[in-house]
Formats: sequence, structure tokens, C-alpha cells
Amino acid sequence: MSPKVTITHLSDLTPPSQERTWLTAPHPTLPLVATCSSDKTIRVYSLTNFTLLSTITGGHKRSVRTAAWKPHMTGESVLATGSFDATVGIWRRWDSYGQEGDAGMGMSSGDKQIPTDISTAASNGTGTDTADREEDEEEWRFAVLLDGHDSEVKSVSWSASGMLLATCSRDKSIWIWEDLDDGDNNFETVAVMQEHGGDVKCVSWHPSEECLASGSYDDTIRLWREDLDDWGQVACIKGHGGTVWFLDWEGEETEGNWSGPVADSVSESALSALQAQWRSQRALSGPRLLSCSDDRTVRVWRRQPKESQQTGPLSSATTGIPSIIRPTGTDEVWEEDAVLPRAHELPVYAVAWSKRTGLVASTGADGRIALYEERFVTREQEQEQQADSDAMDTTSGDVLRTEWVLVGVQDGAHGIYEINHVAWAKRADRRPGGEEEVLVSTADDGSVKVWTLTR
Amino acid sequence: MSAILSADDLNDFISPGVACIKPVETLPPKDTKNQEDAYEVTTEDKVQPEDLPPAQISLTDCLACSGCVTSAEAVLISLQSHAEVLNTLDAHPEIPLTHEPHGVGVNNTEDSKEGKIFVASVSPQVRASLATTYGISEKEAGYMIDQLLSGPQGLRGGGKHGNGFTWVVDTNAMREAVLVLTADEVSDSLNSGESSAMSQSDDSLPKRPILSSACPGWICYAEKTHPFILPHLSRLKSPQALSGTFLKTVLSKSLGVHPSRIWHLAVMPCFDKKLEASREELTDMSWRQGDSSGSESQPVRDVDCVITARELLSLASSRGSSLRDLPLQPLHSSFNPPFPEKTLDSFLSLKRSRAEQSLATGTSGGYLHHVLMTFQARNPGSELVVNRGRNVDVVEYVLMSPEGQPILKAARYYGFRNIQNLVRKLKPARVSRLPGAKPAVRPAAGRRQPMSRNAVSTGSSGSDYAYVEVMACPGGCTNGGGQIRVEDARETLGPSQGESLDASMKPSPHEQRAWLARVDEAYFSMDSESESELETQSQLLSLADKEAKIHERLRSWSEYMNIPLSKLVYTTYRKVESDVGKDQTPANDTSRVVELAGKIGGGW
Repeated sequence: MSPKVTITHLSDLTPPSQERTWLTAPHPTLPLVATCSSDKTIRVYSLTNFTLLSTITGGHKRSVRTAAWKPHMTGESVLATGSFDATVGIWRRWDSYGQEGDAGMGMSSGDKQIPTDISTAASNGTGTDTADREEDEEEWRFAVLLDGHDSEVKSVSWSASGMLLATCSRDKSIWIWEDLDDGDNNFETVAVMQEHGGDVKCVSWHPSEECLASGSYDDTIRLWREDLDDWGQVACIKGHGGTVWFLDWEGEETEGNWSGPVADSVSESALSALQAQWRSQRALSGPRLLSCSDDRTVRVWRRQPKESQQTGPLSSATTGIPSIIRPTGTDEVWEEDAVLPRAHELPVYAVAWSKRTGLVASTGADGRIALYEERFVTREQEQEQQADSDAMDTTSGDVLRTEWVLVGVQDGAHGIYEINHVAWAKRADRRPGGEEEVLVSTADDGSVKVWTLTR
Repeated sequence: MSAILSADDLNDFISPGVACIKPVETLPPKDTKNQEDAYEVTTEDKVQPEDLPPAQISLTDCLACSGCVTSAEAVLISLQSHAEVLNTLDAHPEIPLTHEPHGVGVNNTEDSKEGKIFVASVSPQVRASLATTYGISEKEAGYMIDQLLSGPQGLRGGGKHGNGFTWVVDTNAMREAVLVLTADEVSDSLNSGESSAMSQSDDSLPKRPILSSACPGWICYAEKTHPFILPHLSRLKSPQALSGTFLKTVLSKSLGVHPSRIWHLAVMPCFDKKLEASREELTDMSWRQGDSSGSESQPVRDVDCVITARELLSLASSRGSSLRDLPLQPLHSSFNPPFPEKTLDSFLSLKRSRAEQSLATGTSGGYLHHVLMTFQARNPGSELVVNRGRNVDVVEYVLMSPEGQPILKAARYYGFRNIQNLVRKLKPARVSRLPGAKPAVRPAAGRRQPMSRNAVSTGSSGSDYAYVEVMACPGGCTNGGGQIRVEDARETLGPSQGESLDASMKPSPHEQRAWLARVDEAYFSMDSESESELETQSQLLSLADKEAKIHERLRSWSEYMNIPLSKLVYTTYRKVESDVGKDQTPANDTSRVVELAGKIGGGW
């Protein structure tokens, strides 16, 4: 399959860090990104003109490894940063800081809030208090330092509502903090999970539910939910043959305008019928989970819908525990949905699943950026394949099948350097800004590059 | 994230905190001069002395401490195992005792000087764990343990010397004393002037809020990571430690044997109790008066070895005795000699009334409950208001006067996650923890009420508590890391339970919860089915009478030993230096960083 998407370099973010950069987190609504650097700082760049807007310094004593923007903030931006100094910093900045009335940093007209059920978070309009503003001498106000981890913090993630922050570390633990949002920057430890057998490399929240996924040096992916009043593991996915470096969730249907996989050579009506069927199927299992690993693979995982989970080994008849206290079962069964076409020769450090287009990007130690697209396997293709391989796939009856296709590759995207992270962001350098997306890649040499895609 | 390192990368990792520098008295001194050069050729005999036994027990199941247990502690723990119990029983004969009309004495003519007196103390949570496992009552579980440790069909049925434990006592006896003294400590701290908790004149009293100190996981964590907590810790020894001091002091004096010849085993719900037993604060050095032999001899621990409920199963099975087949009856009196000191015998036989081990007291000894009950009794008409916290392991109590004024605030914080929030509340306020970073100062008027989903009292500073009962394990001590787990129980009971279940299958959180509920029930049901006269009698005693009785007993102990009571019942804590976050990586240690990047959690 020949690549069908061309990845074109749009711009570097300048000036670059003089030291290794780890990750670049695009702001959920504003056209800016936060880049984590080994020089102990976080660099905030504009996606409008690709220049450095500010540098957050003084908070961390070692490499800043990770960062995440709190969602649903209006008027103020909140950034969580995780460092090798074992702490997590929370930083705040009024969106209007230093440029009253300037639209450059503010929300552009094309922007819209990500739809949400949670109405409480949106009412957080503290930014209008002028007394507060006069006191703020610094652009980035250091709000609080969360300590508790024993060793390097590797990843941080805000829950969909923004109320919970998950952090993970080489100390093998995952902490969940609640942002009390009490105006005093108080956070409470909600849970500490220690089931992972190794360094926890990444945490990522479900796009709408309070369900956390984590990937670790122990090669597993684990899923966590709150049960009664404590957090517990609901699934442990074994499948990767090496460290799970990064995770990302499939977007919810309401996000963006992506309506599902595509297919060649079918009519538009046939395609939308397929997509409708696909969506109803997905509604049962929920958003899928994307993972990448030291084993050079990128995989997609799907939750088995509850109704079809086998009740055998977990039923009350076999455990001897009275069935009254036997709940419906919190355990989830996750199965491998797909292994994406192999595109990397070295460990894959990051994956990103576009919420707007459904495209998946991956990158890693081989300095390559790869793009994948999910397509329907039409009945004709299926028959062809079966005839070719003479394989009788009994499951393929009325189950909709898709396949992932490698559609684009960019080799040596940062020269000889390893690429540590890749993310999707909304393109902001052209007006009027459409829904076009750019890729942002972050590398060992301190450079951050922005890429456009053309079909 | 390539492994090609620049000079700056060397300082990017926190040096691994695997080497414990906690000065624990049992550790062989480490020879540091060989460590300077990793590439130095060492000969076999040079390596030998620092070859520590490998750590064998992983504590990942102890929620409290998996974050801070270091290799040296793991060694300590592996040194206190059921095998150690058997080895010690085989290595030393029992000191022969004579049974005389006025009590028990050492038969000096037959004493080989090699012998030891074996004593054990057992925690009530262990009995609850056994009771749940074997479907028996808590009392029967007590008999089961007595039969194993002292009875003819237990440990005495095998081994080189046919040894067993001469006395097996209940740690509840000493817990009773700890409870009373805890209430004293809290009222002393409240009476030490209305001055703010921060500036108390009396150095010997803990800072308010006083935090319970019976949980070794909590103490270990506080000493290592939060030294600012230490002034808040109750100075009282734990029931395990106090049982140890009591047994060693009274037995060595009354029998005329050196404390080192008394070997004291504690059976506990918790692995971390092993760490507590190895504390240098808890040896005879802390209480022995300046007698001539004191200075040159090695310190002798008050508790020589700790095993958990789970290890009790291993102890039985490695002697080929089945706990199930032991008679569930009190030991015959010939295996149950009276305590040598008559006046203090009553101390050990003191039984708790059933009301004092109930849902209200909690699962961890009832320290908080006792403090609350004491203050309620002292304030007639006062009422206790209970506020459930953000989860079951956080409860806040306010004692209200009849006029509706708060008299005393106290709380229970169990579990690591909740401890975090307690510790954060007690952290001394600093203008800025970070150089160059300015905290966002908000006017107090603009401070809004917490919006926490279900929490109470998140707005309280935490320092207005008078007392907080802190335990590292969620659910408290009945859920200790050393308790018999539901999967162990399945294995122990085997297929005879009629369940065709694969014992290796991991129980669900709900099964674990149900199991824990049964252990709690067994714990709370202590002594409920047979009430002896003595108990009925003690139930009639008022709280104040009981207090007086215990004070009287403590006084007679102190007088008998001629040691001030404070030397017997109090202990101290110290900050343990940790290398986390410190720049200890030698500049030439590139290889170590590469190794870090490659091995410890796969680097970046």
C-alpha cells in the first residue's frame, strides 16, 4: 500500500530549547502549546506564528518530563507539569495577561468549547477579579507543588471533567488527585495505586468517563475505576512485548466531525450505512484505546461489551460468596482490536489519535513519523482475502470489519534525533482557521516541528 | 530519549533509593571503602563480609510501605520469619522452670546457660484472621494459637528440644494500658495552656494534634518523608512494644535471668511490626538502669521476632502440625504455668469487655474511641457528632457540649491516600517552596468553600484536631498486610470446602471486601459468646474506675522494677535521612546512569 498522505514541514517552533525536549501539549482551546524540556523549564509557543511566548521557570529542579492542560477553563489556563524531581507543579495564567483586547492569545472566533456534560467546571470565572490581577506580577503564577511520588514523574493527565489529575512515576505508583477548586489551590490525594510491577510511563483518562488507563515498564496496560469509594484496577491488558510508552483514547463521537472509518470504491450511501453500523457497534464497547511500545508495535484495544462477558469464572456459584454482595462485576475484558501495520524499526515512544479525523500518528526512536487510517473491509475484499489465504474466519459473519492502513511516513523528521512525542493540534496560522489539523513533534535535540498533511 | 547522555543527564535522575541508610542495630556494618570503585577487582574473601542475605519477602501487598521499604528493611524482615522461630527453638533448650507454691522459678541446677525462656504475645487481629479462615470463634482461634505455640500437639511435638512457648499473652492486656495513657497524653496536651499548638512550653508533650503511633508503617513513612510530623507523634509505645518491655522486665527480674535469655515472639497482622521490633529505641537500653553489665553488652530487643498471621500457618505446616487438628480448648494447666510475679499476673489476665472491641472502636485497637469516651465521660451531657469523610477510612468526630460548643475534635485517617491529605494539612506553611516561584496569593475574603464531591471538613486546617488515629492500611489493622488473605484461606482449606475453584485465581475486590468484613466481624465479636464472671464484673466498672485500676497496675510495675514509668512506656522517633532528591551521583558515574536508563524502569 503506497502512502496517500504527504506530511509536509510547516514550521519549527522558535527559538528551540538548547536541551532535550520531551513532550508538547497543545492547549485545549487556545492556539498555543507547552513544551517540556530537560532544562527544567516549560516553553509556551504560539501556533499562530510559531514563536516562543513565555518560559515557565523556577518550579522544577530537574527535567520537566510531562505536562497537561486542565480542560474546561475559561479566562484562565491551568497547566500541570511533571518532573524528574518527583513533583508535580500546577501553574496558572490569566488568558488576558499582558494583552487586554488582543486577540492573538485569546480565543479566536472559530474556537468552540469541547461539549461536555459537566456544567460545574464551566462556571469557574475567577479571571475577572481585578484585585487579583493587580497582585499578579508574573505571567505564570505558581499555584501549588504536589509532592508524594518517590521518584521521577513520567506522565500527568487531567480527567475529562478536569476535577481529577492522575500522575505516575518510576516509583511504580499512580496517584489520583482531586482539584478541590476551592480558590486556594488545594488538591487532595484520592487514591494511590501500586499494582504496576515497574515504572509507570504514562497515564491517560477516558475521554468522558472517570476511567484511567496506564502503561508501564512491566509491559502491561491497566485500567482503573472508582468502585464504592476506592480506586481499583478493572483490567490488566497483556499483549505488548515491551514497555508500554504511551496511550491515547479514541475520540468520542461528539468531538469533531469524524464519522468513522472510510472505504474505497463504495457509494456514499453504502459508506454512511457502514459508518452508522460501526457507530452503533462502538457505542456498546465505548472508545477504544491506542498504545505503543518498546516492542515496535502500535495496537488498538477494545472493551468487550458487558453483556457478552463470560460469567463463568466470576459467577457466585463458584466463589462461595453470597450472590447478594456479588455485584455485576467491575472487571472489564479488553481485547486486541488491531495491530497497526508495522512502521517502526525502533521503540515507539508516542502515539496520537486525532479526535477530528480519526487518523493515528506514531513516532519513536527511529526518528520516523507514521500515519495510519482505519478503513472498512468490504464484503468483496473480505471474500478476496479469504480466497487468497484460504482461511475461514468464522467471526467475520455480520461483524463489521476494519483494517488499519499505513497512509503516510516521514523519515528523519528531526534529522538523526529520536522523536519523543507527537500530538495533534488545530491549525492556527491561517485565517480564517478551518478545522484543519497539524502534527506537532518533539525531539531529543530540543526542536519542536509543526507538520501539515495533504492528501 | 536516546541513551546517548550528555553531562547534564547525569543529574537528571534521582539516585535510586535502594540502599537504606537507616541505622538499624541488627545490620552488619557496611564496609564502604570497597564501594568507591565499582571496577576494583575484589577477591572472594573481601566480598564475603558484606554479602548480605538477599531480601526474600516482597512487601508489595503491604499498601503502607511498598513505597518506602528499602533493601535493608527487607533483609530485616526476612530475618524475622517462621524459619527463624524454628531455628531459635532448635538452637536453645528451654530454661527449666520449677513450679513452686508461690509461683515459678528457674531451676538453676539444670540450667545450662545455653537455654532461653520462650514467650509470645498475640494480637487480637491475628485471632480474628484465624477465626475467619477456619470458621471458628475468635476465642477458639486464641486456643488454637496457644495450642500451637505451647501445647503438646503443637511446636512441642517436634524439633530438636521439643521446645515451645512457656507463656503466650494477649497484646490486648498492654493495649489497655496504652489506651489509658493515650487519653492522659491528650488531656495533658490540652491542659498545657491554651497557647497555640505551635508553641507549647512543655517539650515532653507532643504537638497538637497528637497522632497515634502504634502503626509501624505510618511511623516508618513519617520518619523517612515527613520529619515535621514527628513532634506530633504520641510518645507511647505500641501494644506490641509495651508487651515486650513488660515481659522482658518482669520475667528477667522475677526469674533472675538476663533479658537476652528471654526470647519474645510477637504474632501480628502486619509485616511492618518487624521493622518496629528492630528499632533501637525498643531495646533494654531504653529501660535498663545503669547496672554494671549494661554498657558493654549488646542491646537486647524487647521483641525478638515478629511473625504475621500468614506466617503462623507456615510455622505450623513446617512442623508438620495442622492447625485444624489442634484441640480448640484451653491448654492444660501443666502447659499454662502462672506468671512468676503474682501481682503482675493480673495485668496479663486482664480481659477486655466486649463493648470495647466493637464497630465503634474500629479495627485498630480503639485509641481514638478511648480518647473520645474518656472526654465524653468527663463532660457530662456532651454529645459526639460523627462526620464521615470523603471515604470510609476518614471519619471526623466532634465532642459537643450540651450548649452546642465543640469541646474536642478528633479524627481517624486510615490508608496511605488519606494520610497524604492529613500530612499536607499539617505541613508548615511556607511562603514559597520554590526559588523564583511566587505563590498565587488570594485575599481571604475571596476564598470559597471547598467543592469536593463528598468530603467534609476539607476546609479545616487539621491542626484543630486534638487527636488523630492514623493507620497505614485502609480498613485498619484487621486488614494488615500479614493477615491471611482470601486466596490463602482457599489454599489452606483446600478442596474440602467443596469448591471446585482454582485457588490461584485472584479474588475480586468484592470477594476481598467480603472477606475483610468477616475478619472485622470476628474481631468485633471477641468474647461475645461466653462471658466469664470476670468480664461481667469489669463491665460494671466505670471508665474512671478502670482507668484508676490500670494506673495502679502500672505503678506497681514501675515500683516492682524500680524504674520510672516514663522509661517503660514512652519511646522516641527520629528523622531518617533519605537520599531521594539529593545529589549523590558521583561525577564519574556515567555507567550508573546508563544502567539506570537501561534497567530501572526502562529509563526515561
